[in-house]
Amino acid sequence: MADRVVLMIGTKKGAFVADAAKPRKSFSLRGPFGAGIPAYSTLIDTRGTPRLYASSCNPFFGMKILRSTDMGKSFKETKSAPAFPKDDGRALANIWSLEAGGGKKDLLCGVEPASLFRSPDGGDSWEMVAGISNHEHARKWQPGGGGLCMHTIVRDGNRVHLGISTGGHYLSEDGGQTFRAANNGVGAGFQPDPYPEFGQCVHKIVRTDKAPGRLYMQNHGGWADWTGPGGPRPGIGVLRSDDYGQSWRSIAKGLPSDFGFPIAVHPHDPDTVYVVPLEPTTRTCPEGAPAVWRSENGGESWHRLTKGFPKKETYFTVLRDAMDIDELKSPALYFGTTTGQLWIGRDGGEKWECLFDALPPIHNVKVAVV
Amino acid sequence: METVTIHVLGALRTYCGGAEQLHTSARTVRAALDDLERHQFALYRNICDETGAVRRHLNVFVNTENVRDLNGVETKLSPGDVLTILPAVSGG
Repeated sequence: MADRVVLMIGTKKGAFVADAAKPRKSFSLRGPFGAGIPAYSTLIDTRGTPRLYASSCNPFFGMKILRSTDMGKSFKETKSAPAFPKDDGRALANIWSLEAGGGKKDLLCGVEPASLFRSPDGGDSWEMVAGISNHEHARKWQPGGGGLCMHTIVRDGNRVHLGISTGGHYLSEDGGQTFRAANNGVGAGFQPDPYPEFGQCVHKIVRTDKAPGRLYMQNHGGWADWTGPGGPRPGIGVLRSDDYGQSWRSIAKGLPSDFGFPIAVHPHDPDTVYVVPLEPTTRTCPEGAPAVWRSENGGESWHRLTKGFPKKETYFTVLRDAMDIDELKSPALYFGTTTGQLWIGRDGGEKWECLFDALPPIHNVKVAVV
Repeated sequence: METVTIHVLGALRTYCGGAEQLHTSARTVRAALDDLERHQFALYRNICDETGAVRRHLNVFVNTENVRDLNGVETKLSPGDVLTILPAVSGG
């Protein structure tokens, strides 16, 4: 019976593991694992015996995957990490996403430059997925500020959704063999064509089993005031799809900013979705007052959640992979900041509390009940 | 035949069975790296990326000279030379 809430926290200085009994009163912290090396992605794989993974993105010696089979008490490098074929001409620059794949020990890994790798054996061996890595668009994608990264992998049976910055949303309906751009309604603000076929700067995509076909996207917003070619693009930052990602529509109305990085959906109510609006210029909390915004009607309206946060003079940033929500009956949200704070939002975000105040800059946060 | 010594940084010894030094009869830095690729692939992968390039933040020295100031990976090696690969100073 699942009785522990486990957090993985990927930071600039390595990965941390925190856990607590189900009431989540007190979390204990272990780490850093892969000490001193940035961990841009983590994964808690709850299939069978839980396994914890972290990318260890060593700027000197290259990319590694760390794996724990003892619930995060210790980590070891897997036997190999993703690598491009020798004649490909590309070299791995970063590991941005790790997700469980279709088979019992399958893993998927999104990297920079934007490409997908698959492991059949829990990370010990890897092969490049040519259907997206060598897609006809792949050499036309451009790097965003964080690099040309495949940062989001969302699986839904035979469907695989990928988020690429800046490439947009790509969809596979054959288990991840072939992909096509699926960006109908996904805007871009940094080029004259507001709705290109591909090349959008998608920030994060989430889904829930509770509503087949429903997806939410945090896209690169902040272009309402653009007056150049193509005109203003209000509300392109927060989007919803009800047709498995074939098309998208804005749900940003009512938010103080449509710019942000993470987005999370309630595990039991597909109409409840959370974002962290940021000012597009500074990418920090609007007016220095942190807030998570929640919609309980699929994005038709939004409510500001602030209880427990500082009311002023707080300018933190929450990155795309740095917010998650657990699956307990009354779920808690968790997010980490680039200034090293880890927050918990109990009762679906009603009450916020800082769990850890001085971690290294946080890149990602994952939670599971095991 | 006298060989070239490759000094292995402590952090990388786990990738070559704990060896502090390796030896090669290669006569250029590139040939020495090729030798590592054939015989010590895990260590090699830490030093060179998939394209065969020495990783960006590493410096390769022949004795006390950075090969960047010599002839890059085409720098010639002579018996008795010591090849040292070190991370550049950086951080924050």
